[in-house]
Amino acid sequence: MTFLAPGFLFASLAVAAGIVALHFIVTRQPRAALLPTARFVPDTPATTVARARRPSELLLMFLRVLLVIAAGAGMAKPVLTPRRGAQARVILVDVSRSARDTIAIRDSVHAIYRNGDAVVVFDSSARVVTGDISAGIDSLRPTIRRGNLSAALIAALRAGSSLRERADSLELVLVSPFAKEELDAATDSIRKLWPGRARLVRARQPAVDSARVTRKLGITADVNDPLRVTVMLAGQRITGNGQRAAGNGQRETGNALINRGPGFSSQAASRSGEAGALIEWPASTRPRFAVPRAVKDTVGGVMAGESGVVAAFERAWSYPPDSLRGGEVVARWVDGEPAAIEKPDGPGCVRSVAIPVTPVGDLVIRTEFVRFVASLSRPCAQTTSLIPADPAAVAKLEGNGGLAPRESFQPATDARSDLAPWLFALALTAAIAELLVRRRGKNANANRELRVPSREARAA
Amino acid sequence: MTGGEAGESYDEYAALLDAVRGIRWPARSAVRGGIPGAHTSRLRGISAEFTEYRPYRQGDDTRRIDWKLFARSDRAYNRLSNDRAILPTMIVLDASASMAFPVATNGKWKLAAQLGVGLGAVARNSGDPVGLVVAGEEPLLLAPRMRRSVTHEIIRAVSAARPGGNTPLSPSVSIASQSGGRVVIVTDYLGDAEELLTVASRLVAAGREVHTVHVIARDEIDPSGEAAMVFDPEAADVRRALTTDTRDQYIAAYAEWRDRIAHEFTEAGVAYSTAIVGGEAPDHLIRRITAPRGMSATA
Repeated sequence: MTFLAPGFLFASLAVAAGIVALHFIVTRQPRAALLPTARFVPDTPATTVARARRPSELLLMFLRVLLVIAAGAGMAKPVLTPRRGAQARVILVDVSRSARDTIAIRDSVHAIYRNGDAVVVFDSSARVVTGDISAGIDSLRPTIRRGNLSAALIAALRAGSSLRERADSLELVLVSPFAKEELDAATDSIRKLWPGRARLVRARQPAVDSARVTRKLGITADVNDPLRVTVMLAGQRITGNGQRAAGNGQRETGNALINRGPGFSSQAASRSGEAGALIEWPASTRPRFAVPRAVKDTVGGVMAGESGVVAAFERAWSYPPDSLRGGEVVARWVDGEPAAIEKPDGPGCVRSVAIPVTPVGDLVIRTEFVRFVASLSRPCAQTTSLIPADPAAVAKLEGNGGLAPRESFQPATDARSDLAPWLFALALTAAIAELLVRRRGKNANANRELRVPSREARAA
Repeated sequence: MTGGEAGESYDEYAALLDAVRGIRWPARSAVRGGIPGAHTSRLRGISAEFTEYRPYRQGDDTRRIDWKLFARSDRAYNRLSNDRAILPTMIVLDASASMAFPVATNGKWKLAAQLGVGLGAVARNSGDPVGLVVAGEEPLLLAPRMRRSVTHEIIRAVSAARPGGNTPLSPSVSIASQSGGRVVIVTDYLGDAEELLTVASRLVAAGREVHTVHVIARDEIDPSGEAAMVFDPEAADVRRALTTDTRDQYIAAYAEWRDRIAHEFTEAGVAYSTAIVGGEAPDHLIRRITAPRGMSATA
């Protein structure tokens, strides 16, 4: 058995020793005696203090010591130390939208997992699999959320702390397709916090070569629609290579079509089934998934990725929380409210944009707005989620050196102690018993003091 | 009370009764009783014991005129003589809880009972009717009687009584005074001393002879030096710590109170005596209490 916070136990032992010492110092009222002329004694409080050879009120002392030590031990969080093995693994399992071959991932995890290992599944967040881990592995399902390796590595560090008592050395195993979108700027520095190398198990994916993703931007709108100009300018920015490559038989996985109104829905519908993005950006009607705002307001800008536009947009629509389920926000107003969302649609996706485009002014030809529209027309997330990460970045994930020694991990202070609740219950019971015993003793003293000799005793 | 218990009670008081057999208890002043007795009466009557002549005045009973003197002197004189009368004596015993002290011996109550029996016997031997009032949880009243068995009745009554409770004494004294020209109060004054003083003063003013015997235990005068939480048996809320620090103050306060009680009752015309448990022998106490005025030794 070990204690996660042994300081509390030491403190409780010190307090218990003090209690025992106090029980040797007896503070009590003098013996009671009957005196008819007691009224002539000055009314002053009096207690006598003496050191006893034996502690007074042994039962009370026992209960008090038990109370303090049980409470202290409970706060010290005792845990039963399992038998320590030579090696244990922290297995990070990718269940994000990048990991589409679930069977391959399950098989990989099953092949790696041993009793005593910790399994952490992650997508945009990470969580440790508890309970029946084998069953948990069997029930792995990919989610639609973007993977985040940084969050997974932080969870791995926490899992390593919980495993430090079970193994001498720990191995980090990552089972993931290692998509590009799963890595961020912090991933590398967080990875360095794991003191050892990692084993990378790459899950097979229908990977897409980012260099081969072509992009074309089209629009179905009225001839006088101001957005046509923007689309034309944006198309020049993003499809130069695509136009050239179209004749080479490349997959047009990055095509995007802006649909400006219900009158053009038939053209948009004809596009259904393609792998590109259908951008529902109605000129005047309600955007898909959006609801009218209770009060229209004006907001000063909108951001999509790294592109931003500063203008006085009149905000008429909003996306309720339910509409975001199963999708993701692709553009936000400057106050954080979603301005455009994306949802998967077959092999492609549908984007709904609730940003009004006014023909007044130079908005549609401003460079930042053109860049913003180009950003909105980027390939669908489920396409980009298949883009593999840079091999160099993946190599950094693997790291070098040996296995991580257990001493490198901090003891898990937030670990759950199964004994602590029982110790607290014991302390509570001792407290109640102490109260009852003390009260009974007080009553007995009072009765003994007030007892007047019976007639028979006096007669005797 | 069974015959055996009664016999034990008589045995307990037999020595005392023997010791006080020859004691007489004269009244402290002329009594105003009509029944012939041993005490000088305030009334001038027709007894054989001649006192003086007084000139006849209109309205006097002509049967009192000494006709022989009238024949010799031709002047009408009334022949006066001192009457002798009885003095009914009521003994009031305080049987409150404070009299059951010390707890182990009940010394105060035993002394009070001995004084009651002894004084009753002395009064009876002096030819006076004797009654008894026990003021306790179970009040008891024996009307004054002159018969010889009255002493035995008093012994039975005090043997059956047990001190307890905190019954005030002054009502019992008032009741006793209705049938007694002499009232003897045996108490520790730890009850209603103020009311008792008022009643006693009123009785003295009414011409009654009032004696009080202040019963005190040695442990009350000089309690043990061991620290103790002492409490009053008649007042549960009085709980005080008697320690070496408070003991001296207690002794001084109690002595001052005793002096004040003695002074106030004496000033009121009450014959005040003290009786300390384990001190003076009961028969000596009785001699001191019953001594004629001017001869009684100070306590």
